[in-house]
Amino acid sequence: MREHVPDDQGMILVLLFVVGNTLVFGLGGVAGPDIWLAFLTATVMALPMILLMARVRSLMQGAALYSGLEQVFGKWPSRGLALVYALYAWRLSCFVVSDVSNFVQAIALPNTPKVVVASILALLMLWAAKEGVEVLARFAVVMSKVVFAVLLVTFILLLSVANPAEFLPVMYDGAKPVFLGAFQLLDFPFLEVVVLFWVFDCFSSKRSPFKVFVPGFLSAALILLVMTSTSLAVVGADRYSVFYFPIWTAVSRINVSTMRLEAIVGVTFAIGSFLKMAVCLLAASRCVTYAFGFSDYRFVVTPLALAVIPGSQWLITTLMEVEKSAIKTYPTSATIYQVVLPVVFWVVAEIRVAKARHQGKGG
Amino acid sequence: MVGLVILVYAAVAAFELWLWAERPWQKVLLYLVLFAGATTLAVLPVLNPDLKVPEPLGFLEKLLKRLWQKGGSV
Repeated sequence: MREHVPDDQGMILVLLFVVGNTLVFGLGGVAGPDIWLAFLTATVMALPMILLMARVRSLMQGAALYSGLEQVFGKWPSRGLALVYALYAWRLSCFVVSDVSNFVQAIALPNTPKVVVASILALLMLWAAKEGVEVLARFAVVMSKVVFAVLLVTFILLLSVANPAEFLPVMYDGAKPVFLGAFQLLDFPFLEVVVLFWVFDCFSSKRSPFKVFVPGFLSAALILLVMTSTSLAVVGADRYSVFYFPIWTAVSRINVSTMRLEAIVGVTFAIGSFLKMAVCLLAASRCVTYAFGFSDYRFVVTPLALAVIPGSQWLITTLMEVEKSAIKTYPTSATIYQVVLPVVFWVVAEIRVAKARHQGKGG
Repeated sequence: MVGLVILVYAAVAAFELWLWAERPWQKVLLYLVLFAGATTLAVLPVLNPDLKVPEPLGFLEKLLKRLWQKGGSV
């Protein structure tokens, strides 16, 4: 059964996937007061890769994912690639579940074992992934209204305690921190969009991948830039990288009568994280079943979701490791999954499609 | 504890298989292999809490770091 996601819904799914669980972490903290420059640099550096992914999908000429992949790359290379990305998507869902369970334990439920939170999350994402990408995209559209409203209110209220002088002097330490910050952002969250390549089954038209990936990514980058820069202006450039959750600290400084507003940031984190982990599980399930030659992916969702529970406890155990994984500067595995493999397969796809066109004209 | 973990995973697998309308052997095989993997993953950290996370690309990272320190010359 082909699963079709309209362009506008797909765009929102991309947006919420990127914003996802990222908002609460001290992203790009190494750039200090130049964090906004790091975001702009990372966006410019990530954009070619996003365009490349959209181009590969558009080369499939509107075919469904599986048939399109076989058409462009051939049967066995595309199955091998799917297996590699199954592992990546599954690992990413483990990381997201670990982020959320550590966050919940640190902020709200210090005496609750992380495995309990992880099990509840696994059940939720199992349900969402079984419903499929169409339902997830519609859920993203409905929830985006809540997320945008919360972010807008938070942003306006943060302006009352923000100090723009925190961004000065510009590039005092040169370009190196800006680039280090940009590389941090590329790995997490910008180029994690590569997972979404495996989630969308078919698009409305040949141009649709561009209409889905590019505006979705750019809007998410803008939201993250605005919210992160505002948090830095509130907590201060020197203290931004000290906190595990700087935006949480920034929002706690807002005074509206006796109300505490941090929890509303938790709402966006919860919605985004849920969507991201469900999308990752869906991608992992689709990739595994495709690699083994099955058309239906739903029957492997349960074992993969149940593997996420121990995976999330094993791959990352403490809050310090969560922070380390969020702010690391481009590890080798990310380079391979997010840059090397997509570039190689884009080149192969262009050559094969050009050859096929040439043969078509010749014949 | 290990026995309990295995029992829970086996019970979930058996229940879900029972719910399937059709059980083609290829699907059942992949399902059971994945479930066995999930169970192993759940049991290993219980047996050894200090179990290290495998780094299949660790050698590549070490090589790159060595090359970087030597300014590109091996």
